[in-house]
This record gives sequence, structure tokens and C-alpha cells, in this order.
Amino acid sequence: MDFTFTDDQLAFRDSVGSMLENEVTTASIRERWTGDSGENGDMLNMLNEMGMNSLLVPESCGGLGMDLVDFVLLADACGKAALPESIVEDAVVAGGLLSDLLASGQHTDQVQELLGGVAAGDIRVGCAHIINPYSNFAHRKDWMLLANGNDVHLVPKSDLKFTALKSVDPSRRLQKVDWAPSRKTRVAEGEVGAGLQRATLNRGALAAAAQLLGLAQAMVQQAVDYSATREQFGKAIGTNQAVKHLMADCAVQIEFAKPVVYRAAYTVGVAPQRADWAVSHAKTAAGSAAELSARNATQVHGAMGYTWECDLHIWVKRAWALAKEWGDAGFHKNRIHEWLLQPNALLGPEFTFGKRYIDHSDSAAA
Amino acid sequence: MKVLVAVKRVVDYNVKVRAKADGSDVDLNNVKMAINPFCEIAVEEAVRLKEAGVATEVVAVSVGPKACQEQLRTALALGADRAVQVEVDGMVEPLVVAKLLKGVVEKESPQLVILGKQSIDGDNNQTGQMLGALTNMAQGTFASEVKVDGDSVTVTREIDGGLQTVKLALPAIVTTDLRLNEPRYASLPNIMKAKKKPLDVFTAADLGVAVSTHVTQVKVEPPAERQAGVKVEDVATLVDKLKNEAKVIA
Repeated sequence: MDFTFTDDQLAFRDSVGSMLENEVTTASIRERWTGDSGENGDMLNMLNEMGMNSLLVPESCGGLGMDLVDFVLLADACGKAALPESIVEDAVVAGGLLSDLLASGQHTDQVQELLGGVAAGDIRVGCAHIINPYSNFAHRKDWMLLANGNDVHLVPKSDLKFTALKSVDPSRRLQKVDWAPSRKTRVAEGEVGAGLQRATLNRGALAAAAQLLGLAQAMVQQAVDYSATREQFGKAIGTNQAVKHLMADCAVQIEFAKPVVYRAAYTVGVAPQRADWAVSHAKTAAGSAAELSARNATQVHGAMGYTWECDLHIWVKRAWALAKEWGDAGFHKNRIHEWLLQPNALLGPEFTFGKRYIDHSDSAAA
Repeated sequence: MKVLVAVKRVVDYNVKVRAKADGSDVDLNNVKMAINPFCEIAVEEAVRLKEAGVATEVVAVSVGPKACQEQLRTALALGADRAVQVEVDGMVEPLVVAKLLKGVVEKESPQLVILGKQSIDGDNNQTGQMLGALTNMAQGTFASEVKVDGDSVTVTREIDGGLQTVKLALPAIVTTDLRLNEPRYASLPNIMKAKKKPLDVFTAADLGVAVSTHVTQVKVEPPAERQAGVKVEDVATLVDKLKNEAKVIA
């Protein structure tokens, strides 16, 4: 089996990564902090022109009909750039839920129209999940997908009330969303709704994990660059073993987290009914790699690492925020524990790559 | 009007290159490669001419090993219609590249050939001019503006101390300067479409060109390390140092 990314997937990553590297400067991120919307309209247009909105939208709705394995490296690139715009959540979480609604035959005409608008970049749809108390950039969306018990509602912006809240990460614009559920807005209910919300949680946690990977790599790169130029006692601080080990610890965690995140992307795409543990594993591994990288990179930068003027904190604060969003480490470790403790859990090397198709109904792996 | 655009595979401009330990060449192991930035500007200009309805077809051409197909695919993703690779292994000097491009020009008969003014690895700034001489085509080098009008092209050239505008009879050769345009990024749908666009491969023999060597690279060395700066206490000390130590002011 070939587990490597295809040339197309690597070309996507290079193209989006190069655009973000050139266009998302730390100065432009700081500019967004002082703006009303917190977003850069030109950047949103560029991301749309590049096809980020349409990548996961089904071809029948004008999208590219690709899957999360195609998107995971792009989410990583967005994390690396500390992109403030919520394109990853919009495309993966809201777009994914709309596609699920379409596949389950719920309100197909309305959903199809919305997906077409999303792919064209004309309509922005956000998604709030009960695991996150607040929603990032919800006030900038035309429609919101909201949960009420097991039900899923699709609510236009005009029926929503937003209260802005401050995030630890100044690039994020958290909103408390008040709304009144009604039969008119309900698009899924009962078991179907619960299943959609579970899939949404997995996509959200995966999107966060992929971005955390990118954030971790960016922080280590900055710390390494700094340690190679910052001199103490006549030599670069990076030549000291104590500094090298800090960075090596991060590099090990990042390298170990990468395949876990990629595997989760694959599982969510091909067997979403048994993706819970894979996603939780990914979120835990990427979250701890990013948190360790944030801590160690700050240490390497010395006292300067804590200051507002030092750009490192842009990445550090995003890592803190994303590590808690879509379930913190405790939540995801519990999901892994639940799976491990099932009497019929499929453990052992023979199941590592899926020995046989595992039916959700009779398997603890679900 | 058919436009031929030359693209070269070079080390990505963001990469800090290092010389090999023996000084024989630049170390290219595990180094990210990309389209030469000036060639990217050339592709962008050709695509803009097509979008403006001036050009009917854009053909990207690259001379190099099989790996340069990667850069041709990027050119296709940026908007070129088809690609031609002239497969040659090892280092090829500008004169040979110009001869090979002449072979492609004879096959394709383009009205306009756009090249980058130079590549960021060799920094030779020769291929466009040599191709002009070999094909006996008019040339407008260091272009910062290109306007095609009927059977001529007007090129604004960036020259020392100002701009020069020249009018060339087509077919002609244009080499691009940095300010000609700002290249777009390849979109994801176009990257996918690029896979389906045709890419023809020729050898030097197909074009009737013998790959010969006139230049041998003797040594490559990194620039001398800059001395650390010093902080001066006041303007008077600075002026004194500039006058007496650096001797840059009288």
C-alpha cells in the first residue's frame, strides 16, 4: 500500500503554502487585530480563487469533490502561516456538514444551493458545535449551522444575535450566538442529527489537529532560526545542548503526530463510522506537540518570547486556543480510553491498517 | 498568435543555498526547486496576453532533466495550454539552451517568445539575447511593459537611469524584468487540469543540436561573512567613522 501523498496533493500544498507565506505577514496579521472584521477581504478572495472553498464541495454542486486527505496538508499550511481567516473550519466543518446533509437527503434543494454558493465564494456558512461554547467569526457568516439537542438547524444571519467575546488569540473573533430554534430552521433531527453532529465533531477536531501540526512546525522553525543567530558568550545559543534538546523534543513529537493526523484524515474520509478514536488520537498528539513547541520556543526566545512585540506569540496563542477547541486533551483521551476498554476492541498490529472491513454495529472500534 | 514561454527549474528563491564541501557546486540535495521567478513573470505575461484575446495559444518549454516536468506542470497550472520538454541531463550552458530553444522555435513557429531576463541560479542573462541572434528575431530585453499591436510589439525596457521604449516587428523575443507583472498563484482546480494538458518530450538529437561544453565550472564559494556591526554613541562618532575608517565620505 502506498501511504504517501500524491503529486497533486503535494502541488496543492506547495501552491497554497507559497501564497500564504508571501501574503500572510505578521504585519498583516497585526493589522487584522485593529480592524472591525478581523479579516482581510483580499485574502478571502485569494483563498476562494485558489479553490479552498470548493475543494470539499461535491462536484454536483460545482465543487471539486475531493476528500480530507486532499485537504489535510492545506490545513497544515494554514496553521503554519497562522492564517486568521477561518477558511479551514468553513471548508472542513461547515462544508462537511452541508455535504452530509445533502448525502442524507435532508433539505436537498436548499443545501445544494448553499453548497453551490460556498463553492463559488458567494455564500459563507459557519458551524457551531455544542463542544465549543463560542463560535469563531460567526458574525461574518451568511448562514450558521447550529445544534439544539440532537437537532441540527440552518439559520440565516438575520435571525441570529451575536455577542463578541475576547479570545486569548487576538486573531480570533469569538461570538456567543443567540437564536431561537424552530421547525422552520430544523434540517435534521433525532438519530440523523446526532450522527451529523458526531461527524462534525470529528471533522472539527481533525481540522484543529492539522492546523496544530502546522503551528508547531512554524514555532520550532522560528526558535531554531533565532537560536542560530542569537549569540551569548561569543557563540550562537543554538550550539548549546540544552537548547538543541528542547527543539529535538518538539521535532520528535511533531514527527510522531504527523502520521497520526494523516491517518485520521484518511479514516474520516473512508470510514467515518469508526473515526472517533483516530481523530481523538490525532487531536491529542498534535495538541501536545503544539503545546510543547509553544513552551519550548518561548523558552528559546528568552524573556523576549513573552512580549507582544515578538511575533512568536501569534503562533503560541493560536496553539493554546486550538488545543482546547473541539475538545481538549482530557476529552479526547477519554474517547480513546473508552475505545481501548471495550471488550471487543480491535487491538494489535493486524488491525493497524484495517485487516478487514469493520462493521460499526458489532465493533468497539466505532 | 502563438506565444512560446521558456521556464527554468531552479532552487526556490526562499532557500538559502550552500556550497558543497568540496566547492564543486551548490548543494542541491533535498532542496526545494521551483520555477525561476523571472520565468514565472514570463508565463504570467503570456497568460495575460491570452486572457486579453491577443494570444491564441501559450506553449511552455523547458530544457533540463525529467524533473523539470514539475515546473512545466506548474506553468500549465498557471494557464499555459501545453508544454514541451527538451530532455538534457547535467548542467547546460546558455548557448546550448539557446540552440535548443531555436530548435523548438523552428518546430512551433511562435509569433512571440517570452523568457525571463536571467535565472536566479546562473545569473547569466544570456539565453534570450543568444536566441535572438540565432533566430534573427527582434529582441526587447528587460521588459517592464509589453503591448502587442497588430504585427508589432512595443516593449518598455528598464535601463540604467530610466526607461526605453522600443517597437519590434513580430516574430520577436521579449525577456522579462521584475516589474512587468505580479504572477498569480496556481489555483487548485487548475493544478488538476494541468495534469490533463499535453506535454511533449524531445531530445537534443530530435532538434538536431549537439550538447557541447564550452565552459567548465571551476569552483563555487559562499560570499564572505559580513563583519558584525558596532553601535556608536552619537552622530559625531558615526561621521568620524564613516570619514576615517570606512572612508566613504570625504
